[in-house]
Amino acid sequence: MDSKQGVNHMEPLARAFSRSVSEHPADGGLFGPQSVVWRVHRDRSFPLAALRSLMIQALHPLAMAGVAEHSNWKEDPFGRLAATSGYILTVTYGDTAAAHKAADRVRAIHSHVNGTDPATGLAYRAGDPSLLLWIHAAMVDSIVHVVQRYGRGLDSPGADRYVWEMVRFAELVGVPAKDVPPSVTSLEEYIESVELRQATPAARDAIGVILDPPWLEDETRELWRDLGRVAAGTLPAWARSMYGFAEPDPESMERDLVRQLIGAVDLAFESQPGVMEARERIELRTRA
Amino acid sequence: MNQSRIGRIAPLARLALRIGGRYLARSPQLVFASVERRAELRHDLALRSAEEVAEELGYMKGVLMKIGQMASYVDEDMPQTFRAAMARLQHNAPPMSPALAASVIVEELGDAPERAFARWDALPFAAASIGQVHRAITRDGRAVAVKVQYPGIARSITSDLRNVALLRRVVSAAFPGMDTQSLIDELGERLREEVDYLLEADNQEYFAQYYDGHPVIHVPGVVRELSTARVLTTELVSGESFEKVLQWDQHERDMAAETINRFVSRSLYRLHAFNGDPHPGNYLFHGNGRVSFLDFGLTKRFTNQDLVPLVEALRCLVIEKDGDCFRSALERAGFLKPGAPVSTETIVDRFGLFYSTVLQDAPMTITPAFASAIVRRFFDAKGPLAPYSDVPRTYVVLQRINLGLYAVLGSLNATANWRRIGQELWPFVMGPPSTPIGEAEARWERERAAREPAAAIR
Repeated sequence: MDSKQGVNHMEPLARAFSRSVSEHPADGGLFGPQSVVWRVHRDRSFPLAALRSLMIQALHPLAMAGVAEHSNWKEDPFGRLAATSGYILTVTYGDTAAAHKAADRVRAIHSHVNGTDPATGLAYRAGDPSLLLWIHAAMVDSIVHVVQRYGRGLDSPGADRYVWEMVRFAELVGVPAKDVPPSVTSLEEYIESVELRQATPAARDAIGVILDPPWLEDETRELWRDLGRVAAGTLPAWARSMYGFAEPDPESMERDLVRQLIGAVDLAFESQPGVMEARERIELRTRA
Repeated sequence: MNQSRIGRIAPLARLALRIGGRYLARSPQLVFASVERRAELRHDLALRSAEEVAEELGYMKGVLMKIGQMASYVDEDMPQTFRAAMARLQHNAPPMSPALAASVIVEELGDAPERAFARWDALPFAAASIGQVHRAITRDGRAVAVKVQYPGIARSITSDLRNVALLRRVVSAAFPGMDTQSLIDELGERLREEVDYLLEADNQEYFAQYYDGHPVIHVPGVVRELSTARVLTTELVSGESFEKVLQWDQHERDMAAETINRFVSRSLYRLHAFNGDPHPGNYLFHGNGRVSFLDFGLTKRFTNQDLVPLVEALRCLVIEKDGDCFRSALERAGFLKPGAPVSTETIVDRFGLFYSTVLQDAPMTITPAFASAIVRRFFDAKGPLAPYSDVPRTYVVLQRINLGLYAVLGSLNATANWRRIGQELWPFVMGPPSTPIGEAEARWERERAAREPAAAIR
C-alpha cells in the first residue's frame, strides 16, 4: 500500500481558503463586498468550475507546456491546486495590498518560466500576455458556465457584469485591459478565435491525473471521480472531442443530481478547520 | 482492529468528528443550551431565503450529517461531548431570519405570525431538528413553543434520499463491508418521519395523553389547531439543561436518571412505543426527579409480536436463569441464528452483559466506562458470536436508543436498584413500588385506572 494513501487533500485547500480571507482587512480589496465577483467566487459549485477551467486551460499547448515543465504539480496536485485557489481567493477577498502582493509573486514566478513545447516545437514564456489571457478566459468562461448551470444562479446581466469586473483580474498579472474581453459574448468569441488549441500528450496526462488523482482518501475518492465526470460533461463540444470524451449522459448532468454531488463535496470541505469561519467572515462583510 | 465493525466505521467517525468538532469549536453552548439560547444563535448569519436554506442543509448535507450522527452513536472512542454534539448536529444550522420564519407561518397557518398568535417572538430561542423554535402566546392565552421547519427542506431531503447511487457511494466508503442498503433504508425511513411534523404531533400526543398527570414524567401537549406538516405548536416548558444537571448533587442526578429509565421502560411495556434519541438536548429537568421529554420526531411503535421475544428473553435470563430458554428466545427474535455452533454458556456470557444492570437485586452504578463497555460489546465483530448475531430491522431503533440511554445514564453516573425498578414494569413480575418515585407512580396509576377504567388494561 502506498504510504501516501489517504492523504487529506482537502486540508491544503481549506488552509488556502482560510488564509485568503483575512480577519482584519485594511479595505474592501479590488472588488468589494458588493461586487458580483464576491458573490460568484463563493459559490459552492466552485470545485466544478475549477476542474472545467483546468481542462480547457490545458488545451493550449504552450500554457500546458509551461505547467508541465516547470511545476511540481504531479508530486503534489492538491498543493498546486491550493496555491492557485489561494491566489484567486486572495485577489478576491484580500485587501488591496494583499491582492497586489499575491499578483507580484505570480509575475515573479512567471518570469522564470520559459521554454519550448515538445509537442509543437514552439517557444513559450509564461509572462506572455496572450498565454495569460487564455488562462484567464478559460477560467472566467468556466466559472460563468458552471455557476449559471449548477450554482446559485447568475442571470445574463449578472454574468456580463462579472466578466467585466474580472478584467481587473487579468490586468493584475499583466494582460493589457484593452485586450481582455469585457462581456460573455466577446469572451466566447475570443476562445473560439484562438487557433492553437489541441490536446497534447502533456495535456492528456495532466487531465488523467486530475480526473483520478492518486492518494485520495476513501471517503472522497468516488465523489471526486464523479465530480470530474460532470466537469468533463460541461466542456464545449470542441474541447470534449479533443480529449476524446464521450458525450455525457444527460441524466447524469441533471441539476439536482449535480447539486447533490456538490453538496456532499462541500460538506467535506466545510468540515475542515477554519473553512466555516472564513465563510462567515465573507458573509458578514457582504451584509455589513 | 481493521476487521472489526468499529474499525470499519472509523473513517465515517473521523468525518463525523471533523464535522462535530467544527460545530463544537464554534459554539459549545449551542450544543447543550435549551432555555436561554438567544445570544448563542448566530442571528447575524440568519438565513434569509429558501435558497440559502438549501445551501446550508439541502443537497445531501442534511442527509450526510444524519449519517454522521448515526456513526456518533456507535464509536466508543468518541468522547461524550462529541457524541452529544453529533446528536445535535442537524440543530446547528444558522437560524432563519424573522421574515423567512414568518413566511413559513403564513404558508402553513394562513396568517402572519402576529395575527395567528396573540404574541409572537420573532427571534427563535432554540434550534430544532430541521427548524427552529419560537416562543409565542396563543390567542386564548397559552404559552407555547412553535417549531418552524426550514422552507424547502422536506422536498430537498426527499429528493436527496432518492439519489441512492450517491448515498451508496458515500455510505459504502464510510462503512465498507456493511450492509449499505439497510443503513440507507433506516436513514431514509427516519428522515422521512422527521420531516413530517404531523406525524410527530400524533406521536407526542399519544405520549402526552398517556403521561397526563404523571408525578415525574412530563410530555408537553400539542396544540392541534396550530400544527401542520411544517409547524408544530406545543405547550412551552422551561427547565434546566442536561449540562446543568451534571453539576447537581448525585442524589438529584440519580433521581433524574431513574425517571429517564422509567420513561423508557414504561413507554416500551405499557405504551408499546419507544421514543426518540435519548440525547441530552431532548430533556428538560425540574429537580426532584421531574423531567420533561421533548422531541418525538423519532417514535417507533411495536406490536405485541415484536415484544414477546424480548420479554421472553428477559424472563428466561433474569428470572428463570435458564440458558436454553434465553437462547431460544433470542433465536425467535432474530438476534441469533438458530443452530449456531456456540455453547449456550457463551451465549449467556456474551449477551448477558446487556442485562447486567438487572441481573442482581442490588444497587448498581452505571459509570461512563460501563456504558462504553456495553457499546463496545454491541459492536464487537471479533467475538465468538459475531458471525451468528444480527439486529433485525424491527429492533434497530430500539437497540440504538438503548445504547444512547446507557450513555446518558453513564454520564449521570447514576446509581439505583435497576432490577427492582424494572420489575415494577415487567409484565411477568408487576412488582411492588421500590422507590419514592415508584410509590408516586403507583398512586398515579391507581387514580388513572379509577378515572378511566380502560387505561388499567394497558
